[in-house]
Amino acid sequence: MIENMTEIAISQLLSETQKMKYEDYRFVTASCVSLGDDGCDVIYHFDKDLEMKHLKLRVGKGEELPSVSKIYFCALLVENEMKELFGINITDIAVDYGGHMLLSDEELESPMAKQQITIVEKKGAK
Amino acid sequence: MSKTVIPFGPQHPVLPEPLHLKLVMQDEIIVDAIPAIGYVHRGLEKLTETKEFTQNTFVVERVCGICSCMHALAYCQGIESLMNIEIPDRAKYLRVLWAELHRIHSHLLWLGLLADAFGFESLFMQVWRNREKVMDIMEETAGSRVIISVNTVGGTRRDISKEMLTKISVIVDEIKEDLKQVEAAFFNDYTVKHRLVGVGVLTKEDAYALGTAGPMARASGIKQDLRMTGYSAYGELDFEPIIEQDGDSYARTVVRLKEVYQSINLIKQCIAKMPEGEIVVPVKGNPNGEVVSRVEQPRGEVLYYLRANGSKTLDRLRIRTPTFANIPALLHMLPGSQLADVPVLILTIDPCISCTER
Amino acid sequence: MVNRSEVKSMFDMIGNIFKNLGSKPATRMYPFEKREAFKDARGQLGGIDIDACIFCGICARKCPSDAIVVNKAEKSWEVDRFKCVVCSVCTEVCPKKCLFMSENYTDAAYTKEKAKHVQQPKSTDNGEQASA
Ligand code: SF4
Ligand code: SF4
Repeated sequence: MIENMTEIAISQLLSETQKMKYEDYRFVTASCVSLGDDGCDVIYHFDKDLEMKHLKLRVGKGEELPSVSKIYFCALLVENEMKELFGINITDIAVDYGGHMLLSDEELESPMAKQQITIVEKKGAK
Repeated sequence: MSKTVIPFGPQHPVLPEPLHLKLVMQDEIIVDAIPAIGYVHRGLEKLTETKEFTQNTFVVERVCGICSCMHALAYCQGIESLMNIEIPDRAKYLRVLWAELHRIHSHLLWLGLLADAFGFESLFMQVWRNREKVMDIMEETAGSRVIISVNTVGGTRRDISKEMLTKISVIVDEIKEDLKQVEAAFFNDYTVKHRLVGVGVLTKEDAYALGTAGPMARASGIKQDLRMTGYSAYGELDFEPIIEQDGDSYARTVVRLKEVYQSINLIKQCIAKMPEGEIVVPVKGNPNGEVVSRVEQPRGEVLYYLRANGSKTLDRLRIRTPTFANIPALLHMLPGSQLADVPVLILTIDPCISCTER
Repeated sequence: MVNRSEVKSMFDMIGNIFKNLGSKPATRMYPFEKREAFKDARGQLGGIDIDACIFCGICARKCPSDAIVVNKAEKSWEVDRFKCVVCSVCTEVCPKKCLFMSENYTDAAYTKEKAKHVQQPKSTDNGEQASA
């Protein structure tokens, strides 16, 4: 449905993002959709002269996702947010808040991820 | 030389926004700044997963008070494109009218806050006096002052009568006249210039690389205004994005002040061209698929990513607000500037932290 | 030397001084002088014409903030005004149009009370049905 969307694998992410940078695209943001046990869909949005391009990839549960904040510094906020709210393991973010950008200690871990069962277990353990 | 860390915010006299900054200082000069947000995270994105897609309009409006109308606009446009709904022409013009009224009141609010930040209280008062007229229009046409809830999937919820349209155009003319006098203080006053010119310069290259949005980007010479894509009725209206080249706080003030005039102009065009007809079309069925919808808010572009699954509730509603995009630029501007300039610098990105955290 | 723009702004200023002397203040003496509410303003959810209600529960389902609780068995309708966001959706969707908005804002309250309305048996035969 979305125009100019390319599906890529995790290993291609850094090279594709670098290519975007060479082509003078602006980093808009990244969106993340939780798929429950299948992990997450991550979509990176780029823009140039009001035309958008998107890179889409799927991260399985527990898989590592390299950070693009070395290429686009402004990606650091959104990557921290995804790490926190969805529990994606994003490595090497330029400034890593360690899960405390939006949430405090008392909050549930990765509240946006669809994983009801683990949350319930956690509550019981406390 | 030793370094000091000064915590700035989340409670600060000039800034009603709960933004916390750790400023690493060397004497009076900032060498590093680390932002900390998270004081008003309300989990609205999560909340939308439990509501019907028509009810979500009211949730997204509460993401931000100042640009609430545009949040609903972006959301409704997204859903409408998913469901292939073509809204009536009158609704398109009404949406633009309300959106531009919102832009005026947001920019006037900001201009007042800026005047307040550098201690020019009477200027603050003059600007807000004019803002009040806009708020009254809003209350009279839409029923509430701030969260006006006029957009709905398929059109608008209220219509504006002919007499009211004439009245609006008289009032915006009044505002224009008043603002012409206030403008001199912003543009030529020695003190104001002293506080703004050359403070927090953001070059065009930096602004682009840091992904800034809205007036921030335009003050650095980037011609980027989503209204140029012609969503809603903007395609049929005549306007040029306002661009400044200097990229300092003064340029950002000039851009926003000129945008008020631009919005007044757009409102007058809207009123002149307002077509007759229906304001809403019935909506049947449920959305399916995914879409990206973008709208220009007073603070810059907002991005909505929607994923629907054919049921009443959405799988995902993701909001990227303009302040989120402008914080990296703030972090770039702060190192090297004076401690006394921090309030002005933070203010010139027009921060809306509750937007940022949702 | 004063330049031309300064002379002009001086005249503007003198003009403004005289205008301000003669004009009313932009603000109101609030508690003594109140502004009339605009027509059709969404001040608060005015209430319900409980006798017309059929307890279909549409308002409760469509309310974006889940402020309304309708109980068909009890014939009661209840709104939590502290949850209500005054969007007026409930008044629009009600098939009997028995909900109405009020233009005046809610007064400040000391306690968080809910407004509960229970339908009283209307006429005798209706009442008998209800109690039966
Ligand atoms: S929608 Fe109207 S008739 Fe139905 S329960 Fe609510 S108030 Fe009563
Ligand atoms: S006005 Fe809106 S929030 Fe209040 S009870 Fe009605 S539907 Fe619910």
